[in-house]
Amino acid sequence: MAGKSGRSISAVPERSPLRRIVSWEGALVLIFIGVLVMGRIMSASFTAENVLREMPKYLSEILIALPMGFILIMGEIDISVGSVVCLSATMATFAGNAGLPFIVVVLICLLTGVACGALNGFILTRWPELPPMIVTLGTQIIFRGIAEVSLGAGGSASYTNSADLAGLGSKVGPFPIAFFVVIIAAAIYIVVLAKTTFGRKLYAIGSNRVAASYAGIKVGKIRFIVYTLAGLMASMCALFILTTTYGVNTTTGQNYEMDVIAMCVFGGIATTGGKGNLIGALIAGFTIVCLRIALSIKNVNDQLILIIIGLLLIISVLISSITQSDKFKKMALKRAEEKARAKAGAAEGQPEKQPDDKTE
Amino acid sequence: MKFKEILRKITGNHEVSLALILVLMFIVVDILAGGTFHSGTNIADIFRNNALTLVMSLGMLLVLLTGGIDISITGVLAFSGMSIGLLMKNHVLDSIPLVPRCILLFIIAIAIGSCCGLINGFIIAKGKVSPIICTLGAMYVWRGMAYIISNSAWASAADVAGYSDFGKDGSVGPYIILAAAFIVFFILMKWTGFGRKVYAIGSNKEAAAISGINVDRVQIAVYTIMGSLAGLAGALSVSIYASAQPTMQTGTEMDVIAACVIGGVSMSGGRGTVLGTLLGGIFYAIVYKALPLVGLESIWQNLIKGVIILGVVIINVVTQRMMKRRNLARREI
Repeated sequence: MAGKSGRSISAVPERSPLRRIVSWEGALVLIFIGVLVMGRIMSASFTAENVLREMPKYLSEILIALPMGFILIMGEIDISVGSVVCLSATMATFAGNAGLPFIVVVLICLLTGVACGALNGFILTRWPELPPMIVTLGTQIIFRGIAEVSLGAGGSASYTNSADLAGLGSKVGPFPIAFFVVIIAAAIYIVVLAKTTFGRKLYAIGSNRVAASYAGIKVGKIRFIVYTLAGLMASMCALFILTTTYGVNTTTGQNYEMDVIAMCVFGGIATTGGKGNLIGALIAGFTIVCLRIALSIKNVNDQLILIIIGLLLIISVLISSITQSDKFKKMALKRAEEKARAKAGAAEGQPEKQPDDKTE
Repeated sequence: MKFKEILRKITGNHEVSLALILVLMFIVVDILAGGTFHSGTNIADIFRNNALTLVMSLGMLLVLLTGGIDISITGVLAFSGMSIGLLMKNHVLDSIPLVPRCILLFIIAIAIGSCCGLINGFIIAKGKVSPIICTLGAMYVWRGMAYIISNSAWASAADVAGYSDFGKDGSVGPYIILAAAFIVFFILMKWTGFGRKVYAIGSNKEAAAISGINVDRVQIAVYTIMGSLAGLAGALSVSIYASAQPTMQTGTEMDVIAACVIGGVSMSGGRGTVLGTLLGGIFYAIVYKALPLVGLESIWQNLIKGVIILGVVIINVVTQRMMKRRNLARREI
């Protein structure tokens, strides 16, 4: 595409401010700001203080969105995380009510999550031809089933020894502890995905699993690790859920998997694998959390929030799939060529008309 | 030698082996329950209680055959069921005599479902959005719509009186619909061009497109059929359970998918039959019905269900591996 004047167009795309906004993450930041402004206009009580107070209730879902991003980038899916939340919260509640020290309660909760995730990972790596959707559907029902059986006929249990939980749910300055945990965990996951070979391998597996295994990547090992991570983060989420609910019932964590997948996809991660990053997912997660808080402060029907999230999800994916379609790319290419031609023409025309201009 | 051949035939055919397991399970449960399980009313109950899952599993079969998935079906079910529930609650159609009114209500529910399915199909086929994401969003939207139109209130048994006679205990209505749906789909998938096209797309999309099949149109048709069946299930649900709530049948989509997968339908598309789906649905239904009869409390049901789903798919993979190995061994000789 070199112009006639011999000036070549650099292969590195210009990152003009407009381009940066047009990228998906930029758009998400704009949407995020839009949600904040909308919340402020809708209700005067949408203040930083109130938002931060309401946050822990929704925030912990972002913790699961991080490993879910890994799983989606591998081109797979885990719909059992909601049940892992329920089961870990149940075990933690039992442990806490048995009078164990709080650190042991935390350990039991996390170990439950790790065990659940490892079971998923084990089944999926032992029989790799099984579709993850069906395996995690099975374990989803099993984990919740175990929680139901252990909760017994009442179907709920409350955490009686609540002083320790209150400590975990307390605030450092204006920020709840959960906020810091989410930020730290997100930083770790983002760095691992973007800057380590482990992250590269995830993208490789998502783009082409067979090719990745031929290239020497231990696909089974990585899948096992990632599913175990999902279990671990789900149990961390369960801990923070306990700090807001002080108890557990059989519907704890229901539909979390869908919310979390929605966050990831809204954040630009493709479910077909190999595409997307966690920064987008993180911004999307906070956007959805703030949207929920804004609408709940305004006392908007909970179900309307569902519709909005559903529509956001479909529209965001639709936009990205349209902009990546061949037709659209051809159009964009044509426009770029025309622009380049016009530029080249102008550059050629200039020196002839005003030769003295540049020497001055 | 002959026994071996029979054994090979049984393990080689998913439907036959599943049918055998079903019969075995039925006998065992019957013995455990002291001979109360094989009564006519009990079997009728099994079909009636699982009519929704069975009807929707037919649509799910088509969707899975094309390599897609639809998890919005219960949202569509709630939206269409709630719509007709509200029509009855507000006495909109009371001027029409009962029988045509019921037929009209069914048609309305199916039409609403078809529209929902059509939108799904359009976004998936033309917008190239992955099916799970599109239907995930749609699930939220339609379920939310069911809440919004009803203002989170119910349509009670008194509201749907008369209409609910169609599906009440002892009425033949649900069975007729079930039988009709399975016969129609059996013919559709076995002896029509449309059925062949669905299988072709599931086996190899590119090859199907090159050989002149309009892939987009078939995909849209498949999701529309799925939607209309979900609408039908919504109408049935209001009739059978004599009420309409925005929360109805939450989570049943997973039961439907599980029934299909137990019936041998492949999640990656191209493999699965109507007969297998029926057997998978019945298998699921019998387990559900049998657990309380053999003395397990209802809180154990989910645990057992999950173990069965996992067990069936793992056994499936293991037998497939064995078959592959055996075929290879035979080739060497």
